[in-house]
Amino acid sequence: MAAPGGRRLLWSGRRWLSQAEPAVSPQPPDSPQPPDSLYPPIVASATAKSKAAKQRRLEHFKQRVHTAPSIEEKLRLYGLLQRPKYVVYPQTFALNADRWYQSFTKTVFVPGLPPRTASAAAKAPAAAGVIPAAGTAPQPGAAAPAPTRTAEATAGAAPYPDVRELRALACDALLQESFYQHKRRPVLYRSQEHTPGPFLTQLVSSLVASLCSHNPLLAASSLDLKPEVNYYWHHGEEVVVHGYRKGRIDPVRFQIDDNPHLQIRVPKQLPQVVPLESDLGDVPVIDHKPSKLPLFKRQYENKVFIGSKVADPCCYGHTQFHLIPDKLKRERLVKANLEDQIEVVYRANGIASLFAWTAAQAMYQGFWSEADVTRPFVSQAVVTDGKYFAFFCYQLNTLALTVETIQNNPRKNICWGTKSKPLYDVVEDGSVKGFNDEVFFQLVRFLLNRPKEL
Amino acid sequence: LFQGVRQAQWLTKTKLVEGLPPSVLSIIDNPAHRLEEHEERVKQAISHARLWDTVEPAPKREHYCPVLFEDLIHICRLMSMKYPSLTKRMLSRNYKIAATWERESILLQVRGLNGILMNSMAPIPPVASKEEILATEAHVLETFYPISPTIDLQEVNVYRELNDTGFRDGYPYSHPHTLFFLESANVRTDRFRPEQLRAKMLMFAFGNALAKAKVLYGSDPKVLEQPIVVQSIGTDGQLFQFMVFQLNTTDLVSSDGIKNLVWVDSDQNLYEKAQCIPEVKKRVVTKPAGIYGFQPDTFKKFLALYLHGTV
Repeated sequence: MAAPGGRRLLWSGRRWLSQAEPAVSPQPPDSPQPPDSLYPPIVASATAKSKAAKQRRLEHFKQRVHTAPSIEEKLRLYGLLQRPKYVVYPQTFALNADRWYQSFTKTVFVPGLPPRTASAAAKAPAAAGVIPAAGTAPQPGAAAPAPTRTAEATAGAAPYPDVRELRALACDALLQESFYQHKRRPVLYRSQEHTPGPFLTQLVSSLVASLCSHNPLLAASSLDLKPEVNYYWHHGEEVVVHGYRKGRIDPVRFQIDDNPHLQIRVPKQLPQVVPLESDLGDVPVIDHKPSKLPLFKRQYENKVFIGSKVADPCCYGHTQFHLIPDKLKRERLVKANLEDQIEVVYRANGIASLFAWTAAQAMYQGFWSEADVTRPFVSQAVVTDGKYFAFFCYQLNTLALTVETIQNNPRKNICWGTKSKPLYDVVEDGSVKGFNDEVFFQLVRFLLNRPKEL
Repeated sequence: LFQGVRQAQWLTKTKLVEGLPPSVLSIIDNPAHRLEEHEERVKQAISHARLWDTVEPAPKREHYCPVLFEDLIHICRLMSMKYPSLTKRMLSRNYKIAATWERESILLQVRGLNGILMNSMAPIPPVASKEEILATEAHVLETFYPISPTIDLQEVNVYRELNDTGFRDGYPYSHPHTLFFLESANVRTDRFRPEQLRAKMLMFAFGNALAKAKVLYGSDPKVLEQPIVVQSIGTDGQLFQFMVFQLNTTDLVSSDGIKNLVWVDSDQNLYEKAQCIPEVKKRVVTKPAGIYGFQPDTFKKFLALYLHGTV
């Protein structure tokens, strides 16, 4: 066969010709169906320079991806054609990047976190009953720990975690990294790797270890340090500006390459927060080209990756932890008169990273823009710069963002997020001043999130 | 170190015992710990580190060695479900140790970034009995005349004899528990050979124990009432070396008297081969991708050393 590998048009044309005879011959003479025509089916050409031919080639490509034998093959075919694409950075200095990212990913941003189920919400106030600061606990028996303990035990859930111990762990981790350990001076412009990075790693690993008895999902989880998360997608249309393809209409391609500081992957999926077809707001519409953000184009391998390959049993995501780099620290933004952009940095990071992660998880399950997801994919993220924490929860309802599939698609992806709040005020003389319990409980609640049946 | 462990033994006045100490072996043999359940998880951890972690077909050693270590530590930490006192441990990376001692009129010191240390609030109880400690008196340290024991050590002018555990006073997790060494250079000549790795482990375990002893008992050379035990584990991603070191005395000037003890279990393979891409001979897949020759005993020893001191 003189057909080289890349030119699928030529070999498809040949196969289409040679398949004509077998289609005609095995027709029994007494079948109730109308007799098949003796001529091959009349369809548009596959190689002509016409709209119908382009349509046929597209259909053929979609058919190939749909009938791919394995997920790896599907991912390979999906990202086969390389063209210049916009590289989207989750941690960016661009102004108002979160609205742009929402429009690229068809995401609705809802401030605040989704209301948790009653049992999880009761856990933290019930746990808060152990220490004197009960606050506004909805549980009537929260004052006495013993009745709530028996109530929890009869409910079949694991006993709630000892908050004092967890808080001691967090304080110890913080003190070790910032006070007790002898360290050199931080390298210029890399102070985030010096203290907040190790603190975050230490905090999360010790919290996961202590909470695994309360959350069996964590016992089967896999912890990644500095993994790679990539996703490639098409959204919208544009005209090619220069080059030999000038004047043609092309889909706008995007690629996210993200490196979270820490990631927890689990074998079972987190439960959905709201039903698949819910509409909680509007997606911002931006009339400018993406390059105005600023966003730049590059051409390289189209990668889709969640942190490990398809063969890994822990293929769903639980929580990601992101560390804000030195370039985007609060002090620098305040010095440049950009205080309102502080929250934008956190939001843009949360939306972009979580979209990439959940969409890559969905692709690992076989869904793509032509085969939209049948169940929502939920993941969580914590974005921090060592002191200020912001929490995000993302529900992926649709992957269909290309021009044809987005027309009749009423579904939108949803991202819940909080403002950034400090975990502590200052560390001095071997003690942590002003430890914020609310932020810490939110972190613990995030780690305790699990499917209903566990 | 040139002569490997023998040279390190002379420098630290230590007696070598093959195999792991009985207290660790009893943890392994104890059926109540049910170490068999974790086989599946360990295999997954190895596959994750060696096969699945990057977009490329086969990750490099610099990448998979730390990932494997992190995964194994994660599995060990999850055991704190069963043993709550395991939460009283803290890992610290990039910490610096400094310890100085005199050995037959030669001043030696151990300094610098070594590996990853695990600290715990409670010290490990002494592993050897009193009789064994006294029996080391009779043991003679082997020398390798005419080669001087300090032949390939770096000679440096020091202006401060420093003894520093790496942490300030008042640190709650003050007892060094286990040191981890990862040989993760890509090129084989940049990595330590197993013999040299064991010597490095011994020297740094000794340095940590000595610094701790000087903090606890002062700088005078003497025989310790409560010997200090420090463990160390070294690996290059496939081969594991286990070591338990017990510091019995800080009196290191002379070569007689009570010696320190070290138990070494060397060259334990965790798996034989990790096939990233299936081997194909004449268009037939002869060896599909996967992990071959998995040995659960190595992980049992890893876990036993981790649990040692709390169980």
